[in-house]
Amino acid sequence: MDEKVPRSNIIETEIPMGTVHPAALEPYRVRFFVEDEIVQEAEITIGVNHRGIERIMEGLPVEKANSLTEKICGICSNSHIWNSCRTAEIGLGIEIPERANYIRVIMGELERLHSHFLYLAHGCEVLSHETFSMRVFYLREIVMELLAMIGGNRVQYGCSVLGGVRPRCDLDEAKLLRLKEDMDKLEEGLTGFVERFINDSIVMSRITGIGVLPQKQAIELAVTGPTLRATGVARDLRTTMFEYDDFDFNVITQPDGDVKSNLVMRALESFESIKIIRQAIANIPEGKIVNRDWEMFDTDIIESYIEVPRGTLYHSYALESGRVRHCIIRTPSMANIGAMQYACIGDQITDAQLCIVQCDPCFTCTDRAIEIIRR
Amino acid sequence: MFSNTVIYSILAAIITILVCFIISTLLPGIERKYIHARIQQRIGPIVIAPGIMAPIKFMFKENVKVESPVPGLYKVLPIICFIVVMCLLIALTPQAFAIPALSSLVAIVGLLKVEEICYVLMGALSKSVMSVRMPFPDQIKGAVHNNATRSFIEDISSRRSLRMITYGSFPLYLALFAPVTQARSIFLEEIVAYQQVHGPFLFTVSGAIAAIVFFIGYMIILNEYPFSIIKAKCDVIEGPYMEYASKYRTIVYLTRGFFMMVLGALFSVLFLGIPPLITSWSILIVVLVSLVLVFMMGILSAFSPVFTNRQLLPTILGTTLLGILSIVLGLL
Amino acid sequence: MGIKSFSRARAIHVMLVYTGGCNGCDIEIVNSILSPRFDAEQYNVFLTWNPREADVLVVTGPVTHLNRKPLEEIYNAIPNPKLVVAAGSCALMGGVYKNCYGDIPSEEIEGPVENIIPVNAKIPGCAVRPQDVLAGVVSLLPILLDAD
Repeated sequence: MDEKVPRSNIIETEIPMGTVHPAALEPYRVRFFVEDEIVQEAEITIGVNHRGIERIMEGLPVEKANSLTEKICGICSNSHIWNSCRTAEIGLGIEIPERANYIRVIMGELERLHSHFLYLAHGCEVLSHETFSMRVFYLREIVMELLAMIGGNRVQYGCSVLGGVRPRCDLDEAKLLRLKEDMDKLEEGLTGFVERFINDSIVMSRITGIGVLPQKQAIELAVTGPTLRATGVARDLRTTMFEYDDFDFNVITQPDGDVKSNLVMRALESFESIKIIRQAIANIPEGKIVNRDWEMFDTDIIESYIEVPRGTLYHSYALESGRVRHCIIRTPSMANIGAMQYACIGDQITDAQLCIVQCDPCFTCTDRAIEIIRR
Repeated sequence: MFSNTVIYSILAAIITILVCFIISTLLPGIERKYIHARIQQRIGPIVIAPGIMAPIKFMFKENVKVESPVPGLYKVLPIICFIVVMCLLIALTPQAFAIPALSSLVAIVGLLKVEEICYVLMGALSKSVMSVRMPFPDQIKGAVHNNATRSFIEDISSRRSLRMITYGSFPLYLALFAPVTQARSIFLEEIVAYQQVHGPFLFTVSGAIAAIVFFIGYMIILNEYPFSIIKAKCDVIEGPYMEYASKYRTIVYLTRGFFMMVLGALFSVLFLGIPPLITSWSILIVVLVSLVLVFMMGILSAFSPVFTNRQLLPTILGTTLLGILSIVLGLL
Repeated sequence: MGIKSFSRARAIHVMLVYTGGCNGCDIEIVNSILSPRFDAEQYNVFLTWNPREADVLVVTGPVTHLNRKPLEEIYNAIPNPKLVVAAGSCALMGGVYKNCYGDIPSEEIEGPVENIIPVNAKIPGCAVRPQDVLAGVVSLLPILLDAD
């Protein structure tokens, strides 16, 4: 795969899109520089969503700050609260009960499922394939109901607390049974969809070779998560996380780094998530779900990395008399913006939004650490 | 006696047009509810919603100032489109066969071309809020290419319509001229007469191929997915129609349904030899043909993504070759 | 019921504007219209992305500084009669982000949607549920039908 080079010298015109656009699920501004409908360069402006969560977290009690991290993102809200709790747990040396760990993994994987389904549905919508989009949204509804059953809310569930999970999120026999049944339903539906999707020659001809991100470039741009794995690099932080020690799963990779690889990769990863949830349901240990037996003390800056649906999530803060200090959150989309700008180059402008979508953007996650420079 | 015949035939033509118009308002709803919604496993809107109720609703909306360099021309364009479609239907009624200027294939091709040129002008004149006019600090210190020319998204749409004029509508015109090879005349009257004697053109080899070509051309000229590049939602949102509000949007909505119906009538005239006429049962066949075309279009569009230039060119080339094949077969 | 209200009740075009929320509400609203499960189209609610076509503007998120002017522009582009639905606690009162700098005055969050454009209906919830969105839009029907 040869490299794509931005050719700034032949720009004919600039086409800005945003901040409100049907292909974007969130506000951002993107300027495409085109020559005869071929994108030569793209510039994504973020900061539209800047709300200052880290500033609000500064000085809050750690429990409160944890629940606030959930409001960073409505798609991967559980990942944020999980990682935030995990940061404090690492710093304070809190032992998490096995059962709580399993429930966190189940929630994490359910969230990965709903995020990947949203990605597939959104991708199909940007392709203007309404039918596939609707089919995936219909499947996604199963996951959303499961999340609502466990967490009590469809979007922000607040599952993790310091030392374990919230009592509401404990899984009894009935819930486990429903989880198990719905996983079967989900797998059946997803298998059907993926077969239809891969065998649809019109869709395949439309997305093969579009928005290519070469492996070399992906590593150079420090891309994370599924977008990196779709270029053929088997790098998944879940293999190193102690939470996933008991689970057996494969790291899925795809060779090409184009839209097709990305979409297929998300679909295949969903099967792995279903596999992990099945293992968790089968082996969930008995015992308490929260460890209240810990003490608060001041710590230096603590760091924690986990793998979330979109890539590597980084939280770090120091604790000072039970309050959060020097909070930094770095989300996967921050690293992937370069990839989005790069993937557009050399494609039709009709595909440009698709190339951005293929990197799974989540600008609401991203817009916190950025300082807006006023004119 | 003579004047009576003229009055009756004019009356019949008017009633035919009215009936076709009323039926045509149902077509977008039928496509949305019975095809798209059924395929997508949902209930969908009521049948009258997209075709009748939405236009009526827009009629009662405030008439806002249109953002356009030439607002007068921009507002006239949908009316021109509507009149063009109406002229097409008038040309197809048997009463109009007496007018040689209107009832030849050349006139029909010309009218269709007017429709296409309207899209170009609409796209060029519309300056919607959704792209350049969105108040956002784009050209600031630190941004790349601060001095590049800036285009509205409708400008791309306009350029695409031009491209569609040059090669996109080839299939439809080829299909229109395929029956000529059999009837040896470009006048609709003789094409109809020939088919009433020799049976419908559709059931010959050349006719069947031409029908397929016509169907693809029909989808291209109606801008339905997958050929809806000039109003693709993923980049140009609604393309040429972005700025129309209230009454003008009503006309845009009505034109779409009417155009579906008229193209159906065109098919039945050229390929079945049955002109739309209210006084005979043949009108039912015309309605049936337009319904079948709408159904086929709905099914195809529900299962296909939007095509970019990259897929459009080979598709249209292939269809054009098929069209040439059908003409050659007809001539043999 | 005149033809005006009759037609308005049978074709409602909804436009969404995200103004910097957490994506939760946005996706729930898109979900309520796009997913076959809730399918707003069966109540004749259509999703549109063209302000000239819209009747109801659904706004989510606490309006961030960069989003204020686009929101105003889009509101102005909608022809009358138009209605605004604020969905989610951020749009209603700024949510958790309202006092992001505490006592220090801040221009970052331009406050609830009410500060910028008039709001006709408010849908609470963090995040809003699809059922509530549908109920909110439908609750506006009487105002919409009686408008000039």
